[in-house]
Amino acid sequence: MTQITVTTRAGVRHDIDAKVGWSLMDCIRGAGLDELLALCGGNCSCATCHVYIAEDYLSRLAPISVEEDELLDSSEHRTSKSRLSCQIKVEDKLAGIDLQIAPED
Amino acid sequence: MSDVLQSEVVEQIGRVRAPRPDHVPLDRVRDIDMYALKGIDEGFHEAWKRVQQPGVPAMIWTPFTGGHWIATNGETVREIYADPERFSSQVIFLPKEAGEKYEMVPTRMDPPEHTPYRKTLDKGLNPAQMRKVEDKVRAVAAELIEALAGRGECDYSAEYAKVFPVRVFMALADLPMDDVPRLNQFASQMTRPDGETPEEMAASLDAANRGFFEYCDPIIRTRTGGSGDDIITLMVNTEINGQPITHDKALGLISLLLLAGLDTVVNFLSFIMIYLAQHPEVTVELRSDPLKLMRSAEEMFRRFPVVSDARMVAKDLSFKGVQLKRGDMILLPTALHGLDETLNPEPWKLDLDRRGMSHSTFGGGPHRCAGMHLARMETIISLEEWLKRIPEFSLRADAKPTYFSGIVAAVENVPLVWPVKA
Repeated sequence: MTQITVTTRAGVRHDIDAKVGWSLMDCIRGAGLDELLALCGGNCSCATCHVYIAEDYLSRLAPISVEEDELLDSSEHRTSKSRLSCQIKVEDKLAGIDLQIAPED
Repeated sequence: MSDVLQSEVVEQIGRVRAPRPDHVPLDRVRDIDMYALKGIDEGFHEAWKRVQQPGVPAMIWTPFTGGHWIATNGETVREIYADPERFSSQVIFLPKEAGEKYEMVPTRMDPPEHTPYRKTLDKGLNPAQMRKVEDKVRAVAAELIEALAGRGECDYSAEYAKVFPVRVFMALADLPMDDVPRLNQFASQMTRPDGETPEEMAASLDAANRGFFEYCDPIIRTRTGGSGDDIITLMVNTEINGQPITHDKALGLISLLLLAGLDTVVNFLSFIMIYLAQHPEVTVELRSDPLKLMRSAEEMFRRFPVVSDARMVAKDLSFKGVQLKRGDMILLPTALHGLDETLNPEPWKLDLDRRGMSHSTFGGGPHRCAGMHLARMETIISLEEWLKRIPEFSLRADAKPTYFSGIVAAVENVPLVWPVKA
């Protein structure tokens, strides 16, 4: 178990518990932050779990797959900090990761 | 197939058996006819699941449908979809003789040739594009269901599932509804071709494929250079590697769009409603929480896969304890992934709280279904608009749905009944 910080669209910060081995998406949904729709439940098929990752953590993440890249491209709110939270597994080295839920498309 | 071989195999009564090749071990042979599954009367998924008995090898071989391998569990189905270098899309429909007549684009291409065509498809079908058409799609669903709600009964398959995705698709493509019967006929001959022998089935598929091409030819010519915002205009005016798409390739691409848009969600929706009609508690759960309903689509994709296409072995290799020869065909029943209890505990249960559902309902790898965002939207909107007007419903007491297996499964005769307020 580790901790992550999630900022909602309204700007409210939540420190939530994150289970190592779960995806960031599962942790955010598990904490009841339902504005992260995450429709496909982690199959990298919908782009509704889009988050912005704080700069200093970005480089620690596994690279973006072709599928994730294409889905992110379909968002009007993609930035250099964009990732799909279902594609990021919680690991100890991500303790304290700071992320923001991207605007709804 | 040579004339000599053909005369040998046609002697069988009914479906033809191919002789077992030397590299196929006897203990891997099972009699499974993908177009006439044993136990299909009980249900399409139930019939496939009979194949996935405890202890069945990951790869089995059947003499039917020209003779082919079958992947029998979720891991194997996923692994084959994900690896185009070993498992090519050069031929994807069975029997192989029919698959060789299939001319749709880019389903039979492997990367990197495949990539620019795929990008063209995505341009018309990506989530951003789907958001633009959502209101149109919802209006189609609402109008259809509104007309049924006061009646207290309908054949869901004939009156909704077979109509809604087709109307949506024809609207997105800006094509007249009058053309639907003709296109439906072609689509069903592509995915469940008539015939007892591989040669007969190949002839049926070839005729249907040519039918699609003849239908699309004038449409593509008219819309090339056009400025409409329909998905056909969008796609025929894109570039492939810096050049305008060729007419031949455009024929294959737009025909694929029609085929995929006409025969898949149609059947998927009926499977959902048969289940919900028999599980009112799940319907209550769906109604209780709009977000849960939206998230339920993925679990439905897992629970009700409809596609069984194939891959061709690209080179001689050993895989899962058997030797495969270049050109061997492997059928990938996606039903055997979503319903595999080693990946999805209690697989028969439509569990709206399930985490990490594992499935290949949209295939996988570079050819993963480009229409999955449309499928998800159509599923969610159908459920929302239906439950808004028809919150409780059941199967009519004498209901006997008819199931068909093939490259795309089909179901007909789905009589639903519901109370109507006076």
